[in-house]
Amino acid sequence: MVHQFKFNELNIVLDICSGSVHVVDDIAYDIIEMYENHTQGEVFSKISEKYADKNISNEDIENCYKQVSELKASGSLFTPDTFEPMADKLKQKTSGVIKALCLHVAHTCNLNCSYCFASQGKYHGERAIMSLEVGKRALDFLIENSGSRHNLEVDFFGGEPLMNFQMIKDLVAYAREQEKIHNKNFRFTLTTNGVLIDKDVIDFANREMSNVVLSLDGRKEIHDRYRVDYAGNGSWDKIVPKFKELVSARGGKNYYMRGTFTHANPDFLNDIKVMLDLGFKELSMEPVVCAKGDKEELTEEDFPIVCKQYEELANLMLEKHKKGDDFTFYHYMIDIKGGPCIYKRISGCGSGTEYMAVTPWGDLYPCHQFVGEEKYKLGDIYSGVTNKEAQEEFASCNVYARPDCKDCWAKLYCSGGCAANAYHATGSVRGVYKYGCRLFRKRMECALAVAISRALEEE
Amino acid sequence: MEHIKTIKTSNLCESAKNGGCGECQTSCQSACKTSCGIANQACENNERK
Repeated sequence: MVHQFKFNELNIVLDICSGSVHVVDDIAYDIIEMYENHTQGEVFSKISEKYADKNISNEDIENCYKQVSELKASGSLFTPDTFEPMADKLKQKTSGVIKALCLHVAHTCNLNCSYCFASQGKYHGERAIMSLEVGKRALDFLIENSGSRHNLEVDFFGGEPLMNFQMIKDLVAYAREQEKIHNKNFRFTLTTNGVLIDKDVIDFANREMSNVVLSLDGRKEIHDRYRVDYAGNGSWDKIVPKFKELVSARGGKNYYMRGTFTHANPDFLNDIKVMLDLGFKELSMEPVVCAKGDKEELTEEDFPIVCKQYEELANLMLEKHKKGDDFTFYHYMIDIKGGPCIYKRISGCGSGTEYMAVTPWGDLYPCHQFVGEEKYKLGDIYSGVTNKEAQEEFASCNVYARPDCKDCWAKLYCSGGCAANAYHATGSVRGVYKYGCRLFRKRMECALAVAISRALEEE
Repeated sequence: MEHIKTIKTSNLCESAKNGGCGECQTSCQSACKTSCGIANQACENNERK
């Protein structure tokens, strides 16, 4: 499978199944487009006709055709997709191994954001706080089920996890004891709205958290439109100085300034620029996840605006790179020279198998976005996974299990997409959220264009 | 005349040989939480590198 696209002055050709990337001239671009469904004679005559005024010799066309044929023969172009039989292998190899938990330490929040997929942290249920006992048992459960896996990832998530900060501190102390005993390495992440950040939180987070995700939507008026307290007051003025303090004390450790864009700000590049102006360099902006028909939902009219933001964002990154003023955009972090192996790329996201969410009372769900969906409750941290039928639905959910992904060029970049998005859009975890797929493809073209432009520069 | 410039990339077919150790991050972990991507994940397999 081959995907071709143009970005700025670059003609880019991706050979999906080998992972090869080619930058080509106009003639090669057209030849590759016709190569598989035209005879050599047809290709020659069409190219000669199209480039009649460009003074291209027959020999040159022949030479270009030959280069394409050689790439095909060497396995760098039109590589057939032979990966399907491997689709279940990684999951079989790691069957029963859990390596990451999303701990819902607080099903409550001190903000009242109307667009929150977790319904203000309550996940459509009652407000609740995770006890230290439940937290400890969750970590024990993770260690017990992690097999030979050394690195274990735990997210402190909510609601607002800092509403249960003392428990987080106590639980991390417990984890540090346990990791020595069991030869594991815990990597913690804290996702916070920032309201409760103080010196103590900053010291703790910068000492113990491998990553901190800070929720900021960018422009003050955009942020304060949704991210308000229960009295309706915007939170931007309160949190931005705290985020600045935390990031400046972080000393190079990972963090993400993570925003959400909605129908209110499809022009989200302006929000990214605000984040940059504030001095933040590790950025992520995500399309809103909401119910169909919500006022926040991205519309068809928003689509071209969003695409334009992705393109301009790519150009901004390249421009700043030239000046040595780099910044990171989470979805544009792509390593074309390395990156995930093929097993990872076809296995799906790992929700419900290697990754699970734990509620404040210890129930297990396939991921944080399924919490509250009773039929997908997998079990609990005391008895383990008991709903084998639901787990099997996730275990068998790989890129080849989704009929809509079959002919999509981006399937080895997204691995079939988000099960929760698919479920909410189609009622099935094996469906696809088509609007999200279209955005993903655009995002990926831009990410690749940035990576390719930089690679060309290096060469 | 060079019509095609091939960028140096990893070979996905080759990655089948030493891949699949499972040490990498789960896909949605840590940053996005709402939209899955795989391509931006880092490989943590030392044997492959």
